[in-house]
Amino acid sequence: MSTKHSKAASAFLSNKSRAQFLNQSIWYVREKRDNVAMQLVEWEELRELSSSIKRHTVTHLDTYLEQFASRAEANGVVVHWAKDANEHNKIVYDILQQHGAKKLVKSKSMLTEECHLNNYLINKGIDVVETDLGERILQLMQVAPSHIVMPAIHLKRQQVGKLFEDKLGSESGNSDPTYLTRVARLHLRNEFMTADAGLTGANFGVAATGDVVVCTNEGNADMSTSLPPLHIVSMGIEKVIPDYRSLAVFTRLLARSATGQPSTTYTSHFRKARSGCEMHIVLVDNGRSDILGNPQHWETLKCLRCGACMNTCPVYRRSGGYSYTYFIPGPIGINLGMLRSPRVYSDNVSACSLCCSCDNVCPAKINLSEQIYFWRQGLDAIHRADPMKKIISSGLKYLYGHPALYYMGLRYAPLINRLPRNILYNRLNAWGKGRELPTFARKSFSEMWKKGIVR
Amino acid sequence: MNSKESILSNIRKNSCADYEMPDIAVKGVHYDDSLQQFIDMTKAVGGNAHVVQVGENINDLIRSYYSEAVNIVSNLPEVTIATGNPDTVVKPQDLDGTDVAVVRGELGVAENGCVWIPQAVKEKAVYFIAEYLVILLSADKIVDNMHEAYDMLRFNDYGFGTFISGPSKTADIEQALVVGAQSACGVTVFILNA
Amino acid sequence: MQIGLFVPCYVDAVFPEVGVATYKLLKYLGVNVDYPMQQTCCGQPMANAGFEQKAVPLAAHFEDIFQGYDYVVAPSASCAAFVKLNYPRLLEGKHICQTSDKMMDVCEFLHDVLKVEKLPGVFPHKVSIHNSCHGVRELHLSSPSELNIPRFSKIRDLLSLVEGVSVVEPERVDECCGFGGMFSIEESEVSVQMGTEKLDSHIATGAEYITGPDSSCLMHLQGIARRQNKPIKFIHVVQILAAGL
Repeated sequence: MSTKHSKAASAFLSNKSRAQFLNQSIWYVREKRDNVAMQLVEWEELRELSSSIKRHTVTHLDTYLEQFASRAEANGVVVHWAKDANEHNKIVYDILQQHGAKKLVKSKSMLTEECHLNNYLINKGIDVVETDLGERILQLMQVAPSHIVMPAIHLKRQQVGKLFEDKLGSESGNSDPTYLTRVARLHLRNEFMTADAGLTGANFGVAATGDVVVCTNEGNADMSTSLPPLHIVSMGIEKVIPDYRSLAVFTRLLARSATGQPSTTYTSHFRKARSGCEMHIVLVDNGRSDILGNPQHWETLKCLRCGACMNTCPVYRRSGGYSYTYFIPGPIGINLGMLRSPRVYSDNVSACSLCCSCDNVCPAKINLSEQIYFWRQGLDAIHRADPMKKIISSGLKYLYGHPALYYMGLRYAPLINRLPRNILYNRLNAWGKGRELPTFARKSFSEMWKKGIVR
Repeated sequence: MNSKESILSNIRKNSCADYEMPDIAVKGVHYDDSLQQFIDMTKAVGGNAHVVQVGENINDLIRSYYSEAVNIVSNLPEVTIATGNPDTVVKPQDLDGTDVAVVRGELGVAENGCVWIPQAVKEKAVYFIAEYLVILLSADKIVDNMHEAYDMLRFNDYGFGTFISGPSKTADIEQALVVGAQSACGVTVFILNA
Repeated sequence: MQIGLFVPCYVDAVFPEVGVATYKLLKYLGVNVDYPMQQTCCGQPMANAGFEQKAVPLAAHFEDIFQGYDYVVAPSASCAAFVKLNYPRLLEGKHICQTSDKMMDVCEFLHDVLKVEKLPGVFPHKVSIHNSCHGVRELHLSSPSELNIPRFSKIRDLLSLVEGVSVVEPERVDECCGFGGMFSIEESEVSVQMGTEKLDSHIATGAEYITGPDSSCLMHLQGIARRQNKPIKFIHVVQILAAGL
């Protein structure tokens, strides 16, 4: 029995040093989160508030979106509404075209990944430049991100060094991270300087004021929006929050959960366009309003996209982002992928031991593991359940449902202990791939009880 | 039905639960010595903090911290050594090559070393494009936490503001922390009126 | 107080000594314990694999067998958690559900209900606690490392009552061992990798035994230890608590 995830994970694990590097790097981020979380006495209270605020906002989403849009418009910002990814891409392109914009600098936006914006624009002749260092590295490599916050975490410095040597003319053999970051700085500085437009995502949209809030460490969102005369914001509709009192709760949780920092370096509030310039917000639905109607899964809309769940996930850390078939990996990715298309992304549902650690680190208290459990229950109905698992489950149901049969099984099970290894440990024995089988007791507990031996 | 109406109507149709807004009465972290906490956090995030003593001159301090700086940009009247002004440049790209930008912060947040800077210059690029950033902040404007900060947040007409906590940074290459990504490679907060 | 002892399927077949130790300890502590025959399985394996409907008849049968007892006690944190958290949903509209409120893992029962303060045994060994996920995060046997709450461990508290025991915990104190029921075979490479690292972290403490409230985790770790020829021993917590009985 296997899924695309389990096969990809197996391949990933065959490179032991790479696997160890990823596990340690990402666990380290979990530890940093723990350190800062334990410093705030009010940490669990903040998480509870965050969850409550999001639940309220998401269940009154129409009101808050209308308020947000009308405030933004009163501030002179142009607000667009996109039902789906295609409409979003078209709107962004139209805005660029109207301004004669040919080069677009972008800060990180998972929403634009979801919409496949980059390829759409590139195919229409727009030069799209990712400006987050990790994203730029991956763009030059022409691969996707492997984590939503630390997209290049799976790469070694030597890989980046070679890439920059090829693409940016850096010193041969120099893979010092500081040197490479400086090379990227000069390269990206030139891109910012010559860009016609800047596109950012939105960490939060504040309904009461119309602010778009963008959090970065590199300053690339601000560079992207301080030089070119056009700022476009791609914002998922679930990113709206009520007011500044709410924002305080989220900003205290976000960076701590994501990277273990007390704050990102920059928390920028965009309320109006620069003088003589334009600012546009594209509000994107792309399935989110449908998710609202899903009683078991609507709480995924609370997600802050912090990545804490994948940092703690023992399966993500041992399989890496590329083992998942959806562009967002880890616990939230399993859930979002299934919401996007259950039949297409069902392979990821196996990537969970139901340890529940993710539930405890999520700053919005999404019941991630329970939702994965529910998706698993639904696989059979969409013909995505593993047939072997179904057979085994049916077999167990029959065995356990017939105690006489069960007792007989207990009596004869010890014979298994004596079977020759080459019979026991064959290709069909998935347990035996890395483990010895347990030894069946000569006398089971129930047999001993029946015989009066248990006293 | 246009997209806006379609989206809003789909939201109304689908919403399957109803939750009240909670009372946000959390007690944010409090520090006995907020100034010291602010200084400690500023350093922890890779910045410098200098408590300006009576008799110390801002301009002399800038020179001593950034002795090799040639292009010093500021619109603050007290920065007499400025060689450029973000209010009078023709275009924001002209600010590239700024060695030190000197700006004013309106609030400091002790829990994370953030300084709230509502845009007070024609070109906000000045906050991000300079190699080094000097922020002037009055000690009596330091609060403990973000709850307090957001209660007091003010914007100018420019309609932009940013919290800046230390210099720009990245750990995107092998999780190795590198200070100085796309914006300031160093930040010094000059704390006045302490 | 009448206790119904639930000995999960794999404990019955592979680790009967854990059932025996549970029974002996409860009797020693003056509890009326009965082991109703015809019990088999709580249904967790199928449910976690995605077939919880196949567990419904088992749940109904479980309710029937354990009707009338004040508590149902099992030496298995994950089985106890499964019954507690899932039976109400599985049986809704189909069968009365009482065991959810009565179900307890044996460590939970000893600590919270009997509030044991003395144990007679001696177990002069260094043991490393394996904090099984469902025990930690669903039954609250110890404080989850992710949460900012006061640190506690009911297992540590209980083990401290046994003379001679020296207790340690591995780094990454409650990271999953990778068993996860059928996860262990559907994602077997990830499962074995998780288990190997967990095993090694226990061994690094210098302990002679790995102990925990869940024999399923121990079975998985033991399988890896045997395959990799790592000589650490395994014992369920209740066996240590029942030492000398």
